Amino acid sequence: MKRLSVLLSLVMLASIVLTACGSAPAATEAPAAPPTEAPTAVPAFAPAKLEAPDCNYGGNIKSIEAVDELTVKFTFCAPEPAFIAKVGSVEAFDIYDEGYLKEIGGDAAKLNENPVGTGPYIVKEWVRGDHITFEANPNYFGTKPANTTFILKWNKEAAARLLDLQAGNVSGIAEVTSDDLATIAADANLKLAPRKINNFLYLGINNAIPPFDNEKVRQAFAMLINKQQIVDDFYAPGSVAATQFVPPGVKPGYTDGFVDTTYDVAKGVEMLKAEGFDFEKEYTLSYAERTRPYFPQPTKIAQAVQAQLAEAGIKVKLEMEEWATYLPATREGKKELFFLGWSEDYPDATNWYDVFLMGTSKSFGAPFSDMTELISKAGKSGDPVERQKMYDEVNKLYAQHVPTIVIAHGTVNQAYLATVENVEIGPYNENFPQMKTPDGTVIFSQDGEPVSLMCADETDGNSFRACNLIFSKLYTFTTTSIAEPDLAESCTGNADATEWTCVLKKGVVFSNGAALDANDVVASFSIGMDYKNPLRKGNTGAFQYFKDLLGPKVINQPAE
Amino acid sequence: MTQQPASVPVLSAESIQQRDNPYIMTVRRLFQHRSAQLGMALLGILIICAIFAEQIAPFDPIVPLKNVKRRDVACIHLLGCPAEQQEHLMGIDGNSRDLFSRIIFGARLSLIIGISTVSFAIIIGCFLGAIAGFIGGWLDDLIMRSLDVLMAFPSLLLAIAIVAVLGPGLINALLAIAIIEIPIFARVVRASVLSVKELDFISASRSLGASELRILLTRILPNALTPLIVQGTLGIASAILSAAALSFLGLGAEFPTPEWGLMLGEERNSVFNAPHLVFFPGIAIMLTVLSFNLIGDGLRDALDPRLANHGA
Repeated sequence: MKRLSVLLSLVMLASIVLTACGSAPAATEAPAAPPTEAPTAVPAFAPAKLEAPDCNYGGNIKSIEAVDELTVKFTFCAPEPAFIAKVGSVEAFDIYDEGYLKEIGGDAAKLNENPVGTGPYIVKEWVRGDHITFEANPNYFGTKPANTTFILKWNKEAAARLLDLQAGNVSGIAEVTSDDLATIAADANLKLAPRKINNFLYLGINNAIPPFDNEKVRQAFAMLINKQQIVDDFYAPGSVAATQFVPPGVKPGYTDGFVDTTYDVAKGVEMLKAEGFDFEKEYTLSYAERTRPYFPQPTKIAQAVQAQLAEAGIKVKLEMEEWATYLPATREGKKELFFLGWSEDYPDATNWYDVFLMGTSKSFGAPFSDMTELISKAGKSGDPVERQKMYDEVNKLYAQHVPTIVIAHGTVNQAYLATVENVEIGPYNENFPQMKTPDGTVIFSQDGEPVSLMCADETDGNSFRACNLIFSKLYTFTTTSIAEPDLAESCTGNADATEWTCVLKKGVVFSNGAALDANDVVASFSIGMDYKNPLRKGNTGAFQYFKDLLGPKVINQPAE
Repeated sequence: MTQQPASVPVLSAESIQQRDNPYIMTVRRLFQHRSAQLGMALLGILIICAIFAEQIAPFDPIVPLKNVKRRDVACIHLLGCPAEQQEHLMGIDGNSRDLFSRIIFGARLSLIIGISTVSFAIIIGCFLGAIAGFIGGWLDDLIMRSLDVLMAFPSLLLAIAIVAVLGPGLINALLAIAIIEIPIFARVVRASVLSVKELDFISASRSLGASELRILLTRILPNALTPLIVQGTLGIASAILSAAALSFLGLGAEFPTPEWGLMLGEERNSVFNAPHLVFFPGIAIMLTVLSFNLIGDGLRDALDPRLANHGA
């Protein structure tokens, strides 16, 4: 007993010494802080600037500079006619407070704890694995939200989401499966809200992995997929089978009357045999079970394609993966055959061709130079007729090279309680802040948890839905497909669309009290566009959208 | 043991066999056991389905059918389904396949799963348990304590962990299930070995010069058989259930294998809008597990000499 107490006191003594040592450096740091704060107390606006050394680094941004407190100028190497649509599109271009970014070191994990933004809501709490509660932001510069509380929930299972809605536990649900449409239509307490958005599901083929490096093999695979059958079986009414790379709504881009490769098993098998295709080998088709507008029933569609390929004698093993590991693995080029899809971010063909066919990721292996040349030319042209001609050519080359097999363009439905008023579903966003419920609380259930709230480094709709409520961008899409000014009063381009000058709204305040200025915009774009920016940490550090929409490469990106 | 009746000279051979042959007595008791009767009837149907799956199933379990309505409910001619329509006893699943054919082929898979995993577990478990019990000492401690550790884990979680390491797939899932069943059999065998090895007839054998291995194999292990049979039958039931659970979670059988757990899993979102798609696989799993449990209970009663005169 005595020995024990001696031991205990020794341990306590040791721990006191240790904590004293541990806090010692902090104590020496503390006095150093006030001197650095003192100069910023009287802020003289020091305009920030991000500049590329030259235009040969592989991206399109030449410079982003703060001209004065409320003016930002974007300079491009080549014309960027879709600038407004791009910066208004995805939450990746959210504007953060520069001071706060420095405070958290650009770390998404820290931002998740306290997301400081300028959006209609602020985060009250994020209960991991369950829900996020939002409260109206008292400092919001736009129209005040009609509801005081918004709760974002998630549940992977469509049946469970619908049950929640039927029980009145939630006000609305996302991604209603086509099998449930009849049930909802028959229920007087519920209403359907269709979401029309240009999208596609594709069967990705990695041309760096044999035998898919053989163009003939890819062409044969395109003949073996019965797209119409898949659309008939698994998609909601209004969905169409794909005939070419982009959906019909993408204009310029979509070629009217384009004749797709016809479904022909016998011919496809003959072609494969001629190329010495190994029918004994088992090929792996990967997918993530994650319901999207373009992928309504992942496991069933995957099995349907597996069965169609089996009809041609091709052995395919299905590999179901977790989304969080699946997406990076496809981008790193580790999957030979895989399902992925895309919902448009902004209404322009660059959001399709440039994102997928320029080789910004290794999903499909190497890009095709004849296509990339035309695509980058078409993206920089302001003339719709010229662009359409170039895209017509790209569409033909696409059918020849078959970098992917686009399967379907889906329509998706959300469902709401009949008591929820003012429901408007746009192609990109819902008008959650303006929805009205009897008790002033809107609860929406989607199919997955946001990955992080630093959407600059995210790419998925589940994260974007949350970010859209907390942060603002220069422009935004409300429930239409026309970008409207948000943080910007306006952005105006010069004659050849290589310079865009944005004037910010006055008096916009972040939820931490900091005022919005031009440097915040420069800092927010710098973390994504400058590879060597010290604050470029994010969640995974990929900042994919900056490459996809403003790249394909970012400034200071090391060669691979 | 078969020599024993012969040493009783008074009664006729026929009556002796009827009254005293322990095997026949056991089988008779089993057949008189009510719940075992039900279990054997169910298992009989299951075995017939498994063996003659190709003949019984009207359609291919994997290839999607043309000209059928997805997720259609059952169409049985006897129950008023129009004659011009193709008969589907349990309806059509979400990928246009005949559900009845998939259930039939699933029976074969489930039996293979149950029997193979349990055989594997019995072989390894028997070996470990026999060694531990017979040799004893530090080896006993080492083997049984490590098996205790294995047993302390929640079995399904341990199986999930093993599959996570080995990678998903039916073979790996079976291996995982076999591994988690090993300690149960090892314990049973060890307990029997311990209780038998000090008995007089073992000492007799030893004094006659029988080798240790011979004593273990021909004298001790046969006496451990009874609890092993009971445990094995119940083990098949839990193995089938675990395999279905792993497949349901996407860690066992792969698409498009007609495995009941997998079928349940892939149609879980149809539970309200097409309930037959989850009802039939669920019932199939339930009946199979029930049949093995009933037979296991019946066997336990039939093999227990204390209950010999009471019947059940």
